[in-house]
Amino acid sequence: MMSATRLAGTLIPAMAFLSCLRPESWDPYVQATVLSAEDTAVSKSVKPCNWVAPNITYQCVELKFYEIVGNISTSVKTLDLSFNALRCLGNHSFSSFPELQVLDLSRCEIEMIADDAYQGLNHLSTLILTGNPIRSLGVGAFSGLSSLQTLVAVEINLASLEVLPLGHLKTLKELNVAHNLINSFKLPEYFSNLTNLEHLDLSNNNIQNISHRDTQVLRQMPAFKVALDLSLNPLDFIEPGAFEKIELRELTLRSNFNSSDIMKTCIQGLAGLRINRLVLGEFKNERIIPNLDKSALKGLCNLTTEEFRIAYFDDFPEDDLGFLDCLANVSTISLVNLRLRRLGAPPKDFKWQNLKLTRCYLKHFPILELAFLKEFVFTNNKGISLFTDIDLPLLEFLDLSRNDLSFKGCCHHNDFGTTRLKHLDLSFNDVITMSTNFVGLEQLEYLDFQNSKLKQASAFSVFLSLKNLLYLDISHTNTRVAFRGIFKGLVSLQVLKMAGNTFEDDFLPNIFTDLTNLTFLDLSDCQLEQVSQEAFGSLPKLQLLNMSHNNLFSLDILSYKHLPLQILDHSFNHIVAAKSQELQYLPSSLVSLNLTQNEFACVCEHMGFLQWVQDHRNLLAGAEQMMCAKPFEMQGMSVLSFRNATCQMSKTIISVSVLSVLVVSVVAVLVYKFYFHLMLLVGCKKYGRGECTYDAFVIYSSQDEDWVRNELVKNLEEGVPPFQLCLHYRDFIPGVAIAANIIQEGFHKSRKVIVVVSHHFIQSRWCIFEYEIAQTWQFLSSHAGIIFIVLQKLEKSLLRQQVELYRLLSRNTYLEWEDSVLGRHIFWRRLRKALLDGKSWSPEGTEDAESSHHEATTPI
Amino acid sequence: MKGLTAAFLVWTLLSLEGGSSQAWPTHTACKDGGLEVLYQSCDPLQDFGFSVDQCSRHLKSNLSIRFGMILREDIKELFLDVSLFSEGLSILSYSYPICEEDLPKFSFCGRKRGEQIYYAGPVNNPGFDIPKGEYQVLLKLYNKNNPMVACANATVICS
Repeated sequence: MMSATRLAGTLIPAMAFLSCLRPESWDPYVQATVLSAEDTAVSKSVKPCNWVAPNITYQCVELKFYEIVGNISTSVKTLDLSFNALRCLGNHSFSSFPELQVLDLSRCEIEMIADDAYQGLNHLSTLILTGNPIRSLGVGAFSGLSSLQTLVAVEINLASLEVLPLGHLKTLKELNVAHNLINSFKLPEYFSNLTNLEHLDLSNNNIQNISHRDTQVLRQMPAFKVALDLSLNPLDFIEPGAFEKIELRELTLRSNFNSSDIMKTCIQGLAGLRINRLVLGEFKNERIIPNLDKSALKGLCNLTTEEFRIAYFDDFPEDDLGFLDCLANVSTISLVNLRLRRLGAPPKDFKWQNLKLTRCYLKHFPILELAFLKEFVFTNNKGISLFTDIDLPLLEFLDLSRNDLSFKGCCHHNDFGTTRLKHLDLSFNDVITMSTNFVGLEQLEYLDFQNSKLKQASAFSVFLSLKNLLYLDISHTNTRVAFRGIFKGLVSLQVLKMAGNTFEDDFLPNIFTDLTNLTFLDLSDCQLEQVSQEAFGSLPKLQLLNMSHNNLFSLDILSYKHLPLQILDHSFNHIVAAKSQELQYLPSSLVSLNLTQNEFACVCEHMGFLQWVQDHRNLLAGAEQMMCAKPFEMQGMSVLSFRNATCQMSKTIISVSVLSVLVVSVVAVLVYKFYFHLMLLVGCKKYGRGECTYDAFVIYSSQDEDWVRNELVKNLEEGVPPFQLCLHYRDFIPGVAIAANIIQEGFHKSRKVIVVVSHHFIQSRWCIFEYEIAQTWQFLSSHAGIIFIVLQKLEKSLLRQQVELYRLLSRNTYLEWEDSVLGRHIFWRRLRKALLDGKSWSPEGTEDAESSHHEATTPI
Repeated sequence: MKGLTAAFLVWTLLSLEGGSSQAWPTHTACKDGGLEVLYQSCDPLQDFGFSVDQCSRHLKSNLSIRFGMILREDIKELFLDVSLFSEGLSILSYSYPICEEDLPKFSFCGRKRGEQIYYAGPVNNPGFDIPKGEYQVLLKLYNKNNPMVACANATVICS
């Protein structure tokens, strides 16, 4: 199993490398021809390059170019040809592009670069050749590159620096030959010409030994100029004296040594080196020295360095101070990711000015009394619970963040032994109890407590003496602001971050009275429900205000009216809408307003606000993400999709429909009311009684004459339409027999017969006589029907005396007189209708109507 | 088993220069002890090789992984976004800085565009038992300049 893993481990890089060589690449070289824009007509099948900036920056990545073609302007300055299959660069390959400054040829399968390949590129400053399996490099391959500053020759199968013909590149500043096969550190003679060289990256090569001879050229190079990276080379031995009297800017040696002993000899081999910065250490995933011995770093005593950094030694020996003794005169020291566990007290006269201790797995807070220390960074050292006082009289910068430390009393100049402190970072720690208000620390300009648990911060004016403070962060510190004088004294403060805290009653009062210089205020995530109108009244310079992630229901614009705000964030609240009349008071300086993630009601009530949103979408950050929460059918839709037209539309619809309903009902009422007038009007031309003089002959008992005169005659003859009734007391011709009158005047000249049935009617013989004649008449002449009006409720026994009448009344519809307003109304309408029925609208109609009526009323 | 994964890696790397439009094939990162991890590259530009040694339902801490690809970006800075989904619901997502400019943690940090990287070594993970089920993991490597240095859609089947 293990062998399989190893096999895979070795095979994979090899195979991957091989995979980059195409079978065709074994064929004799095909000369790459370089064509400029003028020549592109030749190659129509080739995809064009993307230009990022026209005529200046072109990207031709992975376009399957076998030659440099395409739509490239001759004035191109940056040309990215990476991931093409160029294979071979002939001479003057790029002469068409004399303005080139950056040329990227990463992984172009280039195996050969001919002499003068880059000739003419006098402005080229960066040449990238990463990942090309170069096998042949002409002696004049890089000739002409008179301005080249950066050459990246990473992973180009380079076996030796000697092969690179770089001697003439006097302007070269950075040479990166990492990830190659170089096995000798012998710097060729030509390096002495590279007087501008600042950075030489030889990491991830195969250098094992460094001898005195190899470094000869380094001595001829300018002092303290070159930074040298030798990381990931399997160094075995550095000859003592190899670095004697060499002056470097920087030397990096990470993951170079296989064992503690090798490391010891190699570091001793650095004796005599003078350097600005020395970086030692390992990578987490590479060459980890088992059981690092504390003597391994003893050799550091023999070299001189300004700055010393050491990182990622997982197995660092538990040692009092050990190697640090050799570094007494170093000014900057960084110890990062070392399993130090314990750090003894460095003597007071150490010249350290900057000290950084990060992830050092210390068990106790170090005892520090350094006379020269100006900057102390102590972060990510979990496992220490209590801060103990330090005495650093020159300290200006103190970063104690991310340690889970507790502070029993904060903060007083005695805690740190300095009155010069300007920067104090106590963020991401445990409980910090505020006991004094920064006595002796008046110089503070930066103060950060975020994500630590502050206690008693709102009990008194904690920051009263910090008149020079510019930056204060108390975000997420479990602070509950109850005391209004909490920020008293912060007259210079420019930035205040207090997100993730709470306020008494979830109400923001004016606690910012002294902060007249404040430009940045973060009040997000404070569970605020209400904000005082005067809350921001004393902040005449406020430019950014973050009120997001609160519980605000409205956007109170009036309180921002006089602020020079540029950015206002009200996202993640419960804002339904803003008052449209207030929107005009938004500060004119505003460039970004964030209202996303609120609960907007996209209803016509807030039409003004919604219209404003659509008109100001450039001002609103993420306007597309502003979603409606109400009404249900708009839920999850963008506020921008709300159409005001729908509001106007529905208004019109509502008004039109109300109006039409009104009109229709008025018309209906009118039609009802003037039904008979209308009938008259419509039928006026055809209306006539035909041959009849009367509309109806009324048969009634003389006992009911009052009713007939006062009601019947009055209503029918004086109403609309006026009916002409035949009444015996008025229309019978005197001197003629009653019977003859009945026949002649009554039945003969009347279209209909109205029978007024009452007690008296049944008892009256004349009436019965008349009625019977009416019936007979109805038979004989195909004339009008009989309309029964029952004046009073009749007793059945009485009615039975007149069998025929009884049968008729029980089978036919009759009118019943009712002495109530509604009853009368209905009665008269029915009667009028009955009288109109069969009236001679037209001669044909009359007959039809009459005959049909005839049938209907004569079931006897 | 490991031979198989190794073969997979080799094959993946061999096919690195394939076309760019088609979807990449699904590979097996490990299949052992009731756990199967499949992945597919979601970077349209390239596929990559990845495997986990000793995978099992009882996940060990500091797993050994292997990873190989050809970089499309410089990785002086590199960040990883991991999102875990189960049945379409997001369970967990976090960001993690892999490479930082100052004193980088891993040896591949600072590698150049066009350079091939191969990482075989431990990852700093806690050991835990994976609950039974099927999970989707979305891994994205990115840096400041480019939103995608590498991308993988992985499926973890635990039975």
